[in-house]
Amino acid sequence: MGFMLESKKVKRTGFVPVFVAGGIISALIPVLNMAVRHKIYTNTNASPVNILFDANWSIMAMLNVLLIVMCACIIYNSEYTDNAIQKMRMLPVHESNMYFGKLALIILMCIAVFIIESCGIVFCIDYWFTGSTGTWHLLFKSFVYEMVLIIPAVLFSLFIASAFKNMWITLGTGVVCVFMATMLPTDNFVLSLFPFAMPFQIFTNTAPDTINRFIIAAVIESAVIIVMELLLIKIRRISE
Amino acid sequence: MNFISLIGIEFKKIRRSKILFILLAASVILWIPSILNSDINFKMQAEGILPEYNFLIQGFLGISWFMFPASIIVSTVLINQTERSNNGILKMLAMPVSTSMLCLAKFIVLSVLAAAQIFMMVVIYYISAAIASNIEDYNFMLPPLFVFKEAGILLISAIPMAALFWLLSVCIKTPVFSIGTGLAAVVPSVLIINTKIWFAYPVSYPFYIITAEYSKLSENMDTAEIQLVPWLPVAVLITVFCLAVSCIYFGHSERK
Repeated sequence: MGFMLESKKVKRTGFVPVFVAGGIISALIPVLNMAVRHKIYTNTNASPVNILFDANWSIMAMLNVLLIVMCACIIYNSEYTDNAIQKMRMLPVHESNMYFGKLALIILMCIAVFIIESCGIVFCIDYWFTGSTGTWHLLFKSFVYEMVLIIPAVLFSLFIASAFKNMWITLGTGVVCVFMATMLPTDNFVLSLFPFAMPFQIFTNTAPDTINRFIIAAVIESAVIIVMELLLIKIRRISE
Repeated sequence: MNFISLIGIEFKKIRRSKILFILLAASVILWIPSILNSDINFKMQAEGILPEYNFLIQGFLGISWFMFPASIIVSTVLINQTERSNNGILKMLAMPVSTSMLCLAKFIVLSVLAAAQIFMMVVIYYISAAIASNIEDYNFMLPPLFVFKEAGILLISAIPMAALFWLLSVCIKTPVFSIGTGLAAVVPSVLIINTKIWFAYPVSYPFYIITAEYSKLSENMDTAEIQLVPWLPVAVLITVFCLAVSCIYFGHSERK
């Protein structure tokens, strides 16, 4: 019920077009980059997936995270403007259902964005790296990995959005967190566990045991953020 | 009501917004890595830049490429949303005040918020330079005149960008589109500053200016002279155009 309701709510907020447009913009980045500088990239022996992710993923990941921060902020703002959330709280449903409904919606949109982005990368591989084998499997694994690592970022930005009533505080906190993620060194394992820094990780140049550690960390972080959200809802209900 | 008192009213509206905390948080996060990695400033022989200049410029580069434009976008959201929640804008439009004056007053508030962020950044720069000087036993502090000159250049070069973001937030009513367009415009500025048409893209001005200052301060880098001739007229034209259009459109959809 939560998911269907939430998808109806975002109908006129421009939520879906923004995700599609964001996906298309970030899918264009590797294509444009290759079109301008393909000589630098095609001369190396590394796997095409590795080359493309190395060259473009930092900007693409940044666009993805910004997209998530912004849409989390919009999806909760539509509840807070005109006090719609008070009516939601009056209904005989748990307030956490709303959070999980919104979560499911954003995750679905992230999958759509990743599909659009993978189309961009597939185009690059097909057009500029002819004769490479075994890349499709690697590409699929890379995107599944990114999908797992982006979930804590989605949860965390929704947590921020549900905590603050004013949109600029949500957006400002989110943007400051993204900024912090870009300032953190990517080779330091502990620091790159920050939810907004994890989506910047790249599958192909990470050691297998580090990959496992990142996946476990993502699962633990997600659980922690969900508990934080449930606590927030409880505390707010008691204190209001 | 004269223009000065209008600006005063606009400041009163954002008094309890806590925006300064967000701007302060950004400045603090900016300088902490610089303190922790302050030894890296001594390894810049390839560029030939003095450690104290490198310390300052790296921080300025860090803020001017993403955080500074993004916080201007956050400020536009603040200024718009305080007015739109509870339909405050309708009451403002009902008063005998010129809407373009109202629009310009809000733009001044936006510029002052940007200036406040730069000022906080400079203050925290001095604190972190003092800490780094203690750690490394080397004087990182630069004369205030130089630091304020650099900060001033950064702020002035951001005005066309602020005008562009203001135009977006006035003309695009759906907040997700105005924020989205703004943020999407910030990310490619890294790529645009390397092209010849950077002067046509206001979002890249602050980053370009600081990059140019960086190469001016380092001996071994090709000094990228800022060509004032196509840039200044284009920047002024963009600013005037954005402000004029936003003044015309301000309150347009509410009055229908």
